Amino acid sequence: MTKTKRMNILMYVVLTIVSLISVFPLYWMLISATNKSVDVSRGTLLPGTALISNWKSLLSQSPIGLAMVNSFKYAIILTFFALIICSLAGYGFEIYHDKGKDAVMSVLLLGMMVPFVATMIPLFRMFSAAKLLNTTIAVIMPTISTPFLIMMFRQSARSFPHDIIEAARIDGLNEIQIFFRMFIPTMRSTYAAAMTITFMNAWNNYLWPKVILQKEDTFTMPMVVANLTEGYVTDYGVLMLAVLLCSLPTVIIFFLLQKSFAEGITGAVK
Amino acid sequence: MKRKILSALLCVAMTATMLAGCGGGSGDNADDKKAETTDDAAGDEAAGDDAAGDEAADDAAGDEAAGDDAAGGNKLTVWCWDPAFNIFSMEEAGKVYQADHSDLSVEVTETPWDDIQTKLTTAATSGDLSTLPDIILVQDNAFQKNVISYPEAFLDLTDSGIDLKQFSEAKTAYSVVEGKNYGVPFDNGAAIAAYRTDILEQAGMTIDDFTDITWDEYLEKGKTVLEKTGKPLLSCQAGESDVIMMMMQSCGASLFDDEGKPALVGNDALKKVMETYAGLKEAGVLVEVNDWDQYISTMTTETVAGTINGCWIMASIKTAEDQSGKWAITNLPKLVGVDNASNYSNNGGSSWAITSNCQNVELAKDFLKSTFAGSVELYENIISCGALATYLPAGDSDVYAKGDDFFGGDAVSAKIVEFAGKTPSNNTGVYYYEARDAVATAMQNIVSGSSVDDELQLAQETIESQMQ
Amino acid sequence: MSQVKEPKKRKMSLEKRHNLTGWAFLTPATLMIAVMSFWPMIQAFILSLQTGKANNLSFGDPLANYVRMFRDKVFMTSLSNTFLYLIIQVPIMLVLALILASMLNNKDLRCKGLFRTAIFLPCATSLVSYAIIFRSLFGVDGFVNTVLINLGIINTGYNFLGHATSAKIIIIIALVWRWTGYNMVFYLSGLQNIEYSVYEAAKIDGASPMQTFFKITVPLLKPTILLTAIMSTNGTLQLFDESVNLTKGGPANSTITMSHYIYNMSFRYVPTFGYAAAMSFLIFILVAILAFVQMKVGDKRD
Repeated sequence: MTKTKRMNILMYVVLTIVSLISVFPLYWMLISATNKSVDVSRGTLLPGTALISNWKSLLSQSPIGLAMVNSFKYAIILTFFALIICSLAGYGFEIYHDKGKDAVMSVLLLGMMVPFVATMIPLFRMFSAAKLLNTTIAVIMPTISTPFLIMMFRQSARSFPHDIIEAARIDGLNEIQIFFRMFIPTMRSTYAAAMTITFMNAWNNYLWPKVILQKEDTFTMPMVVANLTEGYVTDYGVLMLAVLLCSLPTVIIFFLLQKSFAEGITGAVK
Repeated sequence: MKRKILSALLCVAMTATMLAGCGGGSGDNADDKKAETTDDAAGDEAAGDDAAGDEAADDAAGDEAAGDDAAGGNKLTVWCWDPAFNIFSMEEAGKVYQADHSDLSVEVTETPWDDIQTKLTTAATSGDLSTLPDIILVQDNAFQKNVISYPEAFLDLTDSGIDLKQFSEAKTAYSVVEGKNYGVPFDNGAAIAAYRTDILEQAGMTIDDFTDITWDEYLEKGKTVLEKTGKPLLSCQAGESDVIMMMMQSCGASLFDDEGKPALVGNDALKKVMETYAGLKEAGVLVEVNDWDQYISTMTTETVAGTINGCWIMASIKTAEDQSGKWAITNLPKLVGVDNASNYSNNGGSSWAITSNCQNVELAKDFLKSTFAGSVELYENIISCGALATYLPAGDSDVYAKGDDFFGGDAVSAKIVEFAGKTPSNNTGVYYYEARDAVATAMQNIVSGSSVDDELQLAQETIESQMQ
Repeated sequence: MSQVKEPKKRKMSLEKRHNLTGWAFLTPATLMIAVMSFWPMIQAFILSLQTGKANNLSFGDPLANYVRMFRDKVFMTSLSNTFLYLIIQVPIMLVLALILASMLNNKDLRCKGLFRTAIFLPCATSLVSYAIIFRSLFGVDGFVNTVLINLGIINTGYNFLGHATSAKIIIIIALVWRWTGYNMVFYLSGLQNIEYSVYEAAKIDGASPMQTFFKITVPLLKPTILLTAIMSTNGTLQLFDESVNLTKGGPANSTITMSHYIYNMSFRYVPTFGYAAAMSFLIFILVAILAFVQMKVGDKRD
């Protein structure tokens, strides 16, 4: 017993240390957002009183509300389509796997291996020829279907019990019904994880939106934050407030979803 | 479980809606501001555009708006950065022009320089320049590179009627490519040396001891200051060659020869500069920090007794309000034993350019001609944000002769315009950034013990290889 | 997706029908990748055969760019830097993520949600703030130096980011810090597909936590481990953010990565897109080889 106890204490100590190290920058961001710029650059670690003035100054100099709305819009639409399309493909690759499909999967993986800088200009040409600059479609299209997400679903479909499929077929469900009624509910931990990751990547995407979006009313949060660092004088208090607002949505979504992807299989399977 | 995911999604949607509310609010504010600049332009389609934009959901609006731009006769679209500075100045220029041309509207999109560069390169490379606005602000150091790379994207302003003789020659030189003018100078980058007079006093010196001096004297005096106060005179970002480039320009020297070939090897001025910098570093009179934020904090936390940079650094110095009255500015030290050495130089700055996509060239030209290249009033209006003119007539204005209490009541603005007029011009070169980075690399190796000649040889090879 | 059509022919064998259904399922995603990735890649490849600056490109010697990169000292430095990051950072990060995930999968653990969120935080934290913090932590007067001086390990502040070796180590620390929680997410979700009863049975059989980890967790997570290994390899070989934001590639190019150099060649310097595309294809080849090896080793169905 004492050995287990010691193991447990060790575990808590390790997790607490790792957590503190992980949280520190967020704490610093929070503190900095309440301080005046000059105090931030002097390295204060105590809360200040400038939060309200930083907030007012942020609102007056950047379209932060609109950028929030835009970022949410792009990220939610993208996440929705990405999850459906990629999980369908991942399921198809694994459940009906054969040599041909495995080969296609390997080829698809190649699609993510060229740095985006190299493919950006051909992509831009494509979207500008189609007169799609400044549109949601242009922002989300290139990253809806990603080899990464397809592979993630393919790998987790490997643990999806084949007896469920057989049983469902006997019950008269067609293949698409099996996918929607059996696979999606069973694999919710994978979906929750994929949702978090996709949302985060969509939210933080920077290089492509900045090329494809030219109008201020289409700008995203990371673009607005970049604007704040560009002047001759950077107001660190205001910057950190913006950065904090830019980080929070992903954190909140993670916090809400983490239970879903870390709880054991229940109900649906058996 | 599905319900949980759903409810999470719902939360997100709700947050989004809430933010949409506050987004609408700030959108309105932006409109108010625009309304000021567009003042009499009531009924202009700009208002329609903005309203459509506020809906934010309607993506097609983007396209329609682009169509309007083409048709809209009296609207100028501009890309530039820094709301407190460039954008403010552009909007003020709009107001000045509106006094005589009430139908003008200026639409500024806040775009950082890096983004302007990326967008410009992407548009020009993909052969679709129609995405560019009418006017862009271009970093002076990148001007040559962009005009040479994409001549089709810029409008030649040589015979446009804009009087570019009213600017200092060193400044216009940045935007002259093969004898043609492509830019209207704006932001002043004249170099200043700023010192903490209270710290100098502790070492028994005044600002006069640092005026019209040489780098050798600077080193000796710096040692004294360091000894008596423990504070170095100067801090720099490691890996950035700002100070090196300022030293180079102060004697009109360049990293390239007249044919545009890299000339690092056998460049006496450069060798002297590298030795001077290494000497300062070795003596501890110059300390290197790792990034811009730390550079700023060496000043706000009083760990250095001064700095040397473009005059725009004053805005950052002034954020430490408690240091008011403790700073003074003067000219730079000059190099010893180098031809044409002077106490004046330049760092940074930017100029306006008209793009070839401009739908109303005459308007754009006339606008720049009557504002940034012709209105002392404009420069008087924008001095409040610290934007200093390179437009020489503005320097004679009374506003520029006013003292600044932060700098001990000194008339810093007039002083800087004077410095700008005395700055030698140099050849930035098309391959400026390649050379700048190679020199920074060389400097870092020299500081850690390599020989100057070897490193310059290596840097030259690097640039030559990148120029292929 | 409604466009997936059910095969109509009754006579078709069941197996063939399932096979076709499989193809139908993966078609939308595959088509999108073809248009959004492969088509631009082909164009980039054609570009990589052209030499010249800006828009003055020409097909001279088609392999000129590919030969050039091996003579380019800066690029070679960036290649070796990137590989160093890959070899050291990826294994450390993945092992750490695996350990943390199996700790957090413990049913009896309290405050799981908080721990999980805390450990995930770094990758959601904005790059701007984390770069500022890391640079100031490791600055000459930074927190780390203060601690080391107080512990009597060193006498004066050491400029961590100003020396080649220590700067590389800091990049690796930063990468581990930022991406461990991210990889942990995959493991956590992968672990849910393992019945908890397996662990309980092992416990009853008297297996130590170590044994459980190596005998149960690792083998069952193999598909997920393969996924994260390929993703991390890809991500590290295309590493850009840390090099740009933490060290600007310095001191003296000792931390610059391949993607950073490619970006400089495209947007900072006079645009040399042919050469930049060629260097991008070298990354492509390297990632493809490594991924192929990883697939061969790890992608077996039992």
